[in-house]
Amino acid sequence: MKLSSEPEKFEVIFLPHGRRDFFELGTRLLDASRALAIDLASDCGGKGTCGKCKVRIDEGLESLGKIKPSEEKHLTKDMIEGGYRLACLAKIRAPLKVYVPEISRVGKQRLQTEGLEVPVTANPFVRKYFVKMPVPTLHDVRSDEDRLLDTLKKQYKLDPNTLVMEFDIANDFPKIAREANWEVTVTVWKDIGRYKIITIEPGDTSGRCFGFACDIGSTKLAGFLMDLNTGKVAAVGSRMNPQTPMGEDVLSRITSVMMGGKEAQDKIHNLVVGGINEIIEECCEKANVNINEIYELCFVGNTAMQMLFLRLWPQYTAFSPYPPVLRRGVNVPAPKLDLKSHPNANAYYVPVIGGFVGADQIAVIQATRMLEREEITMDVDIGTNTEIALGNRDLVTSDSCASGPAFEGMEIKFGIRAATGAIEAVSIDPSSLELIHRTIEDQPPVGICGSALIDIPAELLKSGLIDLKGKFVSKMAEETNRLRKGAEGWEYVIAWTDESATEHDIVITQGDIRELQKAKAAMHTGAELMLRMRGMTEKDIDKMWLAGAFGNYINPENARTIGMYPELPTEKYVFVGNAAGTGARMSLISQEERAYVEKISTTVVYYELATDPDFQSEYARANYFPYQDLNKYPLTRDLLLRLGRIDEKGKFIYPE
Amino acid sequence: MSEKEEILKKFVEASAGSDEEKVEEALNEAKELGDAQLIAQLKLIRGVDIGDEEMCAEAAKEAVEAGMAPYKAIIDGLAKGMEIVGGKYECKEYFLPEVLMSADAMYSGLNYLLPLIPKDEKGTKGKIIMGVVEGDVHDIGKNIVKAMLTATGYELVDLGRDVPTDDFIESAKKEGAQVIAMSTLMTPTLMSMKTVEDKLKTTGMKDKVRTIIGGGSVTDEWRAKIGSDAYGKDAMEAVDKVKMLIDQIMVAVKKMKETEEEEK
Repeated sequence: MKLSSEPEKFEVIFLPHGRRDFFELGTRLLDASRALAIDLASDCGGKGTCGKCKVRIDEGLESLGKIKPSEEKHLTKDMIEGGYRLACLAKIRAPLKVYVPEISRVGKQRLQTEGLEVPVTANPFVRKYFVKMPVPTLHDVRSDEDRLLDTLKKQYKLDPNTLVMEFDIANDFPKIAREANWEVTVTVWKDIGRYKIITIEPGDTSGRCFGFACDIGSTKLAGFLMDLNTGKVAAVGSRMNPQTPMGEDVLSRITSVMMGGKEAQDKIHNLVVGGINEIIEECCEKANVNINEIYELCFVGNTAMQMLFLRLWPQYTAFSPYPPVLRRGVNVPAPKLDLKSHPNANAYYVPVIGGFVGADQIAVIQATRMLEREEITMDVDIGTNTEIALGNRDLVTSDSCASGPAFEGMEIKFGIRAATGAIEAVSIDPSSLELIHRTIEDQPPVGICGSALIDIPAELLKSGLIDLKGKFVSKMAEETNRLRKGAEGWEYVIAWTDESATEHDIVITQGDIRELQKAKAAMHTGAELMLRMRGMTEKDIDKMWLAGAFGNYINPENARTIGMYPELPTEKYVFVGNAAGTGARMSLISQEERAYVEKISTTVVYYELATDPDFQSEYARANYFPYQDLNKYPLTRDLLLRLGRIDEKGKFIYPE
Repeated sequence: MSEKEEILKKFVEASAGSDEEKVEEALNEAKELGDAQLIAQLKLIRGVDIGDEEMCAEAAKEAVEAGMAPYKAIIDGLAKGMEIVGGKYECKEYFLPEVLMSADAMYSGLNYLLPLIPKDEKGTKGKIIMGVVEGDVHDIGKNIVKAMLTATGYELVDLGRDVPTDDFIESAKKEGAQVIAMSTLMTPTLMSMKTVEDKLKTTGMKDKVRTIIGGGSVTDEWRAKIGSDAYGKDAMEAVDKVKMLIDQIMVAVKKMKETEEEEK
């Protein structure tokens, strides 16, 4: 007998958003997703007819009972076995963990694949050669292989002694050659010390030679289908990294693998490869390319991603002193990784520097050419893990800090990815306290994405709505009804219910501000300690390259106002967008670039932040907006002084 | 209530409620009263509350000069201040940076006062072995808990970070500690906590010492899974639970001794 009249409630967690709440017994999963502002699609209004709201139940599947006939109509057998259900037909009867796949998400995600364009001449490892072989006669009885090698030598001056034919094509080659009247295209991949003939195609296909470059981010995947003949991008695509249900940060993913053993290792590998294969297929469709026309693939990503993608046991790298398994670049036959491409394609993973400084950081250093410069530059690659590099051609040092996914909208109450309807910019008039926001594609707001999550604390600070410690100034509730006390303490309304596409006000909570504070403090600490270790200050920096998924959407002054990075005059900041993606493309299309990344990996010196005795005190100071010592932020100090937020001594002025 | 007690009460309440005016008032009243010990005590509390290292160091000296016992200066001054900070952290008034700075301020006072305490007055309440487990070097969380525990008067043996599992056990044996407190921020290193727990069981130490775990990646489910005795979700809760564990083990040890004697 139940004594309490309170209805029973169960916790439901939506991934990859990381949002959760308790819901009453019998609540429809679709309604729960709406209450949490999850971007789950539904065209039929939840009648079970459109089949758009497909979700994967990762935990608690048994509680949903048997699959319903209308679900069977919309779900394939594989999907049903994989735990897929329709959210509108599923009722909550137990705690659930729900994964919202890419196909079920509302709105087009902004790709955020744009990056620095570095002029690189295409000189790929894969080349296609169209040959016209002489027909065999009784006077010319060379083997088919010799006939081909001799022709390659004659037509293209390729040395037969360095050429090897991939064994598994020898069987089909004679037939193909004869059917094509001895006119074939030979694809040659340059291995270390030799050339490999990886495929022979009938006729002249030399104009069609493609490769695929991919930046494997902990949160996002960005892929580029490249024309290897021209070095140009043929198509781009992006996805959320499907590994997030196995852990939001890389360390929890490694833990999942450690605890789950081989099976978990295979699963996490399959998840990311599944996401990459989806992008490959999408790009191929867009550019009208056959998957078999992809002859090489190139990947960058942090060291954890390298291990999980290549199926290297990651346990020991997660323990101090965090040694990586493989530092050098890795060449693997693509089928070994289950990648969709030509069966004889090679997959290359760019080298890493250390356990926490990976190929993504190498790619940024490569794309910005900081190792070649006289001037001192700092690279900051903003992400769940923020990597920082500092120096010039004499010495480049690099470190990494765990900044967390807050600026990617994770663990933020109304945080979402940068997709249609996401609030991407916010400004507040400091005197009238009037708020203006802009959404992606000007659609009614559904949530807040990363770039706005930088604007919000900056604008709140400038308007005196939060103090230098990041606390809401409760007294200001008398001035604006946007500031109010909610269920979880003070919160500020960014968009009201009636203007939003959701059924509630979109707010930023005190807890959200704390998450953003911790994230930006980690980034700042990484930069500050690196400068100090090198005996420099921010004044020594000639240029700061800001890379990361934000692309060019963030407001650099607002990011500076909250103290995400050291304060420099605005013109010294340069946004390079997804520089890791740029690096992946460069290493795909150029042999010189691939040699260059190997060089970076041995030249750049890794600096372990955790051993820095100042880490804790510096992190504490960096938790302030913008920083505890305003003398390090003179521009921001002057701005706040002008706005009347602080006095001459730098003390925050609270309203009377 | 004496005038001195009234001023102290007013000051503590005002500090806890962040009522700057009242804090100022109470300080002035103490000055008017001219009680040097009281002034030093208020400054110790204030210094910790606002995270002012210099103020704490200065006040510690003044307290001793005014004839206050060093142990009393720690408990009634620095620890009181830390208690206020803990309360403000709990009600979200304070955040990480304030707590870290308060901890630094407290240590600046402690560094002066601790060497002045006679040996026989030390370590009467209980002893705790603490550290960040093997494989992890992130120690901010542990340091906050350490500061809070120091303020309660327990004796602490801090093994630092990336502590080999055997060291926790050896040191607990050697020091005769009641509690082992382990922390980790990272998830893979959760396994190191399990290793310590398993070893405590196989070496027969489990009855003699209690364990508490905490840190960014630690949950109560993990505690239950590895059989640790307590989980502290934050520094404040950790302190309460450590107190509870020490009381438990003291009672248990006493009982064990009594039965042993009875058997004799």
